[in-house]
Amino acid sequence: MNIELLTLSKVTSISGDSGDFTVIIKQSPRFVDMEKCIACGTCAEKCPAKTSDPFNEGLAKRKAIYVPYAQAVPLKYAIDKNRCIYFQKGKCRACEKFCPTNAIKFDETEKDITLNVGSVILTAGFTPFNPDRFDNYQHAKFPNVITSMEFERILSAGGPFAGHVHRLSDGKEPKKIAWLQCVGSRDLNRCDNEYCSSVCCMYAIKESVIAKEHLGPDFAPAIFFMDMRTHGKDFEKYYERAKAQGVRFVRSRVHTITEIDETGTLNLVYATDTGERVSEDFDMVVLSVGMEPAASAIEAAKTLGVELNSYQFVKTSNISPVATSRKGIYVAGALQGPKDIPQSVVEASAAACSAGISLSASRGTLVKDKQFPAERSVQDEKPRIGVFVCNCGINIGGIADVPAVAAYARGLGDVVYTEEPLFACSQDAQDKMVEVIREHRLNRIVVAACTPRTHEPLFQETIRNAGLNAYLFEMANIRNQCTWVHSGDKEKATEKAKDLVRMAIRRAMLLEPIPSLSVNVNKSALVIGGGVAGMTAALSLADQGFSATIVERSGNLGGSARDVHATWSGEDVQQFLKDLIDRINQHPLITVLTWAQVVDASGFVGNFETRVQAGEKTHILQHGIAIMATGGQAAVTDEYLFGKHPAVTRWHDLENNPEKLTDAGSVVFIQCVGSRDDKRPYCSRVCCTTSVSQAIAIKEKQPDTDVFILYRDIRTFGEREVLYKKAREKGVIFIRYSLESKPVVTETPDGLHVRVFDPILQKELLIHADLVNLATAIEPSPNADIAAFYKVPVNAENFFMEAHAKLRPVDFASDGLFVCGLAHYPKSLDESIAQAMAAAGRAATVLARETIQISPLVSQVNRDMCIGCGLCTEVCPFGAIIQEDVDGKGFKAKNISASCKGCGLCASSCPKKAIDMLHFRDDQIVAAVCAAV
Amino acid sequence: MEQVEPKIVAFLCNWCAYAGADLAGVSRIQHPSNMRTVRVMCSGRVDPIFIVQALKSGCDGVLVAG
Amino acid sequence: MSNKTPVGSVLVVGGGITGMQSALDLADAGYYVYLVEESPAIGGAMAQLDKTFPTNDCSM
Repeated sequence: MNIELLTLSKVTSISGDSGDFTVIIKQSPRFVDMEKCIACGTCAEKCPAKTSDPFNEGLAKRKAIYVPYAQAVPLKYAIDKNRCIYFQKGKCRACEKFCPTNAIKFDETEKDITLNVGSVILTAGFTPFNPDRFDNYQHAKFPNVITSMEFERILSAGGPFAGHVHRLSDGKEPKKIAWLQCVGSRDLNRCDNEYCSSVCCMYAIKESVIAKEHLGPDFAPAIFFMDMRTHGKDFEKYYERAKAQGVRFVRSRVHTITEIDETGTLNLVYATDTGERVSEDFDMVVLSVGMEPAASAIEAAKTLGVELNSYQFVKTSNISPVATSRKGIYVAGALQGPKDIPQSVVEASAAACSAGISLSASRGTLVKDKQFPAERSVQDEKPRIGVFVCNCGINIGGIADVPAVAAYARGLGDVVYTEEPLFACSQDAQDKMVEVIREHRLNRIVVAACTPRTHEPLFQETIRNAGLNAYLFEMANIRNQCTWVHSGDKEKATEKAKDLVRMAIRRAMLLEPIPSLSVNVNKSALVIGGGVAGMTAALSLADQGFSATIVERSGNLGGSARDVHATWSGEDVQQFLKDLIDRINQHPLITVLTWAQVVDASGFVGNFETRVQAGEKTHILQHGIAIMATGGQAAVTDEYLFGKHPAVTRWHDLENNPEKLTDAGSVVFIQCVGSRDDKRPYCSRVCCTTSVSQAIAIKEKQPDTDVFILYRDIRTFGEREVLYKKAREKGVIFIRYSLESKPVVTETPDGLHVRVFDPILQKELLIHADLVNLATAIEPSPNADIAAFYKVPVNAENFFMEAHAKLRPVDFASDGLFVCGLAHYPKSLDESIAQAMAAAGRAATVLARETIQISPLVSQVNRDMCIGCGLCTEVCPFGAIIQEDVDGKGFKAKNISASCKGCGLCASSCPKKAIDMLHFRDDQIVAAVCAAV
Repeated sequence: MEQVEPKIVAFLCNWCAYAGADLAGVSRIQHPSNMRTVRVMCSGRVDPIFIVQALKSGCDGVLVAG
Repeated sequence: MSNKTPVGSVLVVGGGITGMQSALDLADAGYYVYLVEESPAIGGAMAQLDKTFPTNDCSM
């Protein structure tokens, strides 16, 4: 209710400064009244104008009046003026004629909306590269050459072919599909996008694996790539799994695509590693198109007056990754640079945090809370059930016999009132419902209409307005799961509707009021780890007015950034670090505990208690949230003479001892030392960029020094690709090796020898190396204790595991706990900073409140029946049931409501039936089950 | 012989299978009408007793989806 | 910066996954949000994706 959605809208001007901007928005007409439209779809059914459907990438048709997709928010139709026959030719208005709610408004006009805001966040996104501009990809010419976005729609069960993968030329199932990588990326000659789009390798693998699930074991996918860039968390494992499942990876750039027959089969010509020319036929080709800033996004950025970089992405710096050139305006997502979903979500929360910092003095001034009348007690009343059977225009009433359903309901026990509204969700019907509840002293309400997933909250609010508890409500889904899917058989639909209403009524008889549940919030934060991530998180919280304590294991702040000279885009890290530490030390709301370790923790969101041992002293800290920023480190290795020869170093050792370099005639960097192997099956993400940057620095200072980088795939993703190009221009020699034939470093009387097999020359090379620098794996700092104290999970490689890989990249599944920095996964400084700010932004959503409302639909333990077996504690995925030692009675289960998500695993597992779920009690469910037949 | 119409009780998880059944409606995917749905907050909530109860009450099959 | 109290609302331009996340976080942290989207519905490019790694969740 505190988000106002303005669709069909564009920013046209902005004036003012940070804290007080005036923005003018131009809103195009929808020609459909959002208040009246019930998304029944009658208009689209009757609309005679068909047009290409952009949501399905033009692979299907939609009508001129449409919703972009079935689950659209808002789920309201809109008229596409350019396609509407009435707007083009002056006649038709079929939609208006058939609309059951008179929602069509042909006379609606464009309007200007003036907004006064303190801050702006720009997230206008990307557009997929359009390959039609270049004839070598043959996308415009051959039907079986499609883009990856088109393939997503083809795969989708909700797509134009209901998920049935087939060729566009002849409808046949493909047996072989080729994915071509780097279409519109890493290519200065043709498309001018020299950057890597970061996401295409991973989505191509995903598409090939899912296509294989659709098409069966005989389906043969092949991915043609330059470097496989699976640098994200758990991506490398997915790549290995795809190989094992039969996805073929070919390191080659396909140069010619031709159509060989009238069915549309395609021939690809490419060269292999050994220089052999191969000609191979495929049924389809998917172009893995890259990302470009959307034209409308560039326009919006220009309107807002923020600077763009040379690729038209919004310009930011590595040390403030979401701040634009204009104060008070922030950027997040793919408009800042090509990136995947989790990184976009991280930046989204980071930008929210930045805006929150700049506006913290006005937090809470413009938001509203809904007020409700006092709740009526129904405890001593017999159930008096009101049943509202909705017609939903003709959606229900046109198929099921609504009066018959209502009459049937009236005959069931405890039902004292029935009604058949045309639209139960309309404002007038809602108002009437409030009156009726009061007048007839109804104490249980059943609405038979659409789905509770979209409409239960609305009706619950309505009955609260009538003084009833929100949980004295039940819905029967007689539209989505009845009349819409049995429209051919009116009798059976009516019969089923009666059954569903009967089930709802039986359940409603047993419903009980459930008091709302809230917990107080302690408005301070605990940040574990004093590196850049931890400090940034603490500072971002303190700048919003929340106190924070940093617990640092060592004697100094700074963490692993202390070794780093520059970010990948060249900012001075040591200066940044010094400034950051100064700000931490001077901030009145930040406390730093060094030589400190967490020794115990308990509690839940809003109310944690943590014991910290700092030297001799024990601190007991009360805090509302905690952020895990325990960091990581470069691993040691016993490979390549590391630790045995002084000329073999790792990571930043050379940069930090520049005197070693002065006399060096040749320097060899070896990548993936201890990464991407059996022991650590993940990519350490930042090593390629780091080694390439160091190689450039050496070449710039000493052009005559030979610099070699021995690599497996160069993973300079995103705009880091420019560094790779620069290194090659400077004469850095890149030699690829494979896990099966790793380089060999030996000590000889005339220095170090590095032997490596060059797959291009098909020869073993011998390099006389003065220095060998190893990019060893990045591993998380020990975190087993922390994980155990707060009951948060780690993955197989001991990185903390977020709640959801894509959508909740800084949250833990348990509320009030967050993660950022290297403790989550290897990442560059800018990414750590963004994630730390994101963690602070997410934490602010908790700390900004005095109390947090939590869902009261939680488990309830009957302690007299509990035998303390602990099974519930074991199965609970959220740590929401603990075993408490009760005096003289042994262990008894205890529910932590604030952590409980109401799934009911505990209840169904309890051998003594000592646990029940509120609102989904055993007897309530059984009542519905018994009423079903 | 009269055609047998089995009665099926379905326990659907609110977050996935129930949402899927809703979406089938939005997409107007027609299917037989002999299923009666009980919405639960997680398929893990389904106690074996519920299944026994359903069968005892006379249904012919039980679907648990989540 | 002026000494004036800032306006406690934020404009988010773009209703894709990024814009939605920013808007939700800000609203939950006590700021009024205007979410501006140029098409008739929010969702952005992610809504078009079939499934996403690693959970193979449908993007909806």
